[in-house]
Amino acid sequence: MTLVDVQKPVVEVEGVSKTFGSGETVVLALKPCSFAVQEGELAALLGPSGSGKSTLLLAISLILEPTTGRIVVGGQEIYNNGWTEVDDRAFRRRNIGFIFQQHNLIPFLTAIENLALVMQLNGISRREATRRAKELLGYLEIAHRADWLPANLSGGEQQRVAIGRALANEPPLILADEPTAALDTERGTKVMALLKKIARERGSAVIAVTHDHRMIEGFDTVYHLNDGVLQRMP
Amino acid sequence: MDLALKDIRRHLGKFIATIVGVAMLLTIVLVMNGIYRGNIADGVWLIDNTATDLWVVERGRGGPFNESSRIPLDSHKSVAATPGVAKASPLVIFSAQRQIGARNQQFTIIGYDVFGGLGGPARIARGRGIEAARYELVADGKLGLDLGDKVRLGIHDYTVVGITQGAVDSGGNPLLYLSLPDAQQVQFQQDNRALVAARAANLQRLERAGYSSEQAARLLPLLSTSGDTVNAVLVRLAPGADGVRVAQHIRDWLHFNVYTTEEQRDLMLEGRLARMSAVLGLFRVLLLIVSIVIIALIIYVLTIEKIRSIATLKLIGASNWVIVRLIMEQSMVLTLASFALAYGLRELIAPGFPRSLAFLAHETAITFGVMLVGGVLASGMAIWHALRTPPQLALGG
Repeated sequence: MTLVDVQKPVVEVEGVSKTFGSGETVVLALKPCSFAVQEGELAALLGPSGSGKSTLLLAISLILEPTTGRIVVGGQEIYNNGWTEVDDRAFRRRNIGFIFQQHNLIPFLTAIENLALVMQLNGISRREATRRAKELLGYLEIAHRADWLPANLSGGEQQRVAIGRALANEPPLILADEPTAALDTERGTKVMALLKKIARERGSAVIAVTHDHRMIEGFDTVYHLNDGVLQRMP
Repeated sequence: MDLALKDIRRHLGKFIATIVGVAMLLTIVLVMNGIYRGNIADGVWLIDNTATDLWVVERGRGGPFNESSRIPLDSHKSVAATPGVAKASPLVIFSAQRQIGARNQQFTIIGYDVFGGLGGPARIARGRGIEAARYELVADGKLGLDLGDKVRLGIHDYTVVGITQGAVDSGGNPLLYLSLPDAQQVQFQQDNRALVAARAANLQRLERAGYSSEQAARLLPLLSTSGDTVNAVLVRLAPGADGVRVAQHIRDWLHFNVYTTEEQRDLMLEGRLARMSAVLGLFRVLLLIVSIVIIALIIYVLTIEKIRSIATLKLIGASNWVIVRLIMEQSMVLTLASFALAYGLRELIAPGFPRSLAFLAHETAITFGVMLVGGVLASGMAIWHALRTPPQLALGG
């Protein structure tokens, strides 16, 4: 699959804004912005601290309600002018995979259990979840670490397991928060290549919030947020 | 997937140390239960195990256990003549402390009419009851004596002919049974040298007061103490006799205080045992509360330690039930394992415990229930904190 023949949007953000407070203390954290991310596309959200990146990511994750605008994920409208009918946790289980800067693996679960847990939360049987987790670890070339606890894995290995967990329920959207910030250039490049491979092969849309200018080259689209204003970079 | 057990497995050492600590506290709670009940059981053991219907004591006195009572030795004859009385026997009861074996031990001596009288040992575990009028004794096993052992009490040696099991006074001290004259002798008879010294002192006192030697010699017996008293008379009623009426008759005509066994029991429970029981009860409740608070704090700390994991679980879509179960299950495992260990420790400690311990199954079950409910409540604070944790904490924001 290539970007040329992919047209179906996974995420559609239309006129989304967020204000905090009211009256004289009102703060406009995110000015009305619109963008879409297609299947198989890797999009980066760049910007300094306080620019509104996290606000946008939280809105797409169904954690923070936007004040205005409409968000559609996987064809389902999750917000319309600050209103939602969606069960946030059930929606996230099925539609969004998360990758974190600090990996955030459950420390008392082994690599394979971290993956299987996400599937079991989604109603998949233990046996099937374990089979699929094993397969996924093989795909991420880390099957030999399946029974290791996160504390015994290297940073790069932990990030691979975290990516596996994000993919476990085959969600249409993967949200990554600084996925390469804790890794050196070589490992960061490998993770970016892996994310691109996943996006292309599995047709997932990836939105990554990043400060890491070393990795910009790896993204298909780059958006820049500054003072709450979103701009697409050329 | 059982997240609680996975977490416990990962922090097994810490968890076991916590269980041991909480179990120690719970052991104290369970042993306190035993002491509380043992205190009551000891307190009324002698009353319950003396096959008697009425206790006759000195007028205006609260009974042979709660305060001293002295009545003439032959009072039992007039009591026996009361209508409705089948049998009346004198009883002597007093505390003693002697070196027995390697230990200096406190015990209670009971003197009774060994020839068919009331007040003797209810059951003999080994050996036999007292059959001779003098110089035989029956002792409780707690004293560490064996059949055939000789014990010096006062100026004579007494031979152990029987051993009882669990025969204790209201303070939990073992009982030692003697024949009535032996008990009186041990209580009242002085050593010959002490008697000679007392006699000489009294003579000097009388002579200094101006009495002639002859007069002093005549007065001397009046100054010496009499041993012809007992502490109580035990009464067994004739079949069909009304205990209340018989008691009233003895009060009115013989001028003694009379208690039924039930009244004697109440006197003991409301008097000597009430305050101690209240103190023990208070300690039990306090220790139970402390145990629950400790479990609450431990569960809270365990939850705070994995608050980022909880935020991650929320972000990846875990329901609140998954998080509640994680915390609640750990609290339950901690409570149940601690209680099981405490129960085992209690069983281990009980046989060698220096005081009588009495355990009631329903009381242990109630303590278990309270701990279980306490464990659930204890996890409430941690659950509240976990459910309020925002999922964005996992994102570092």
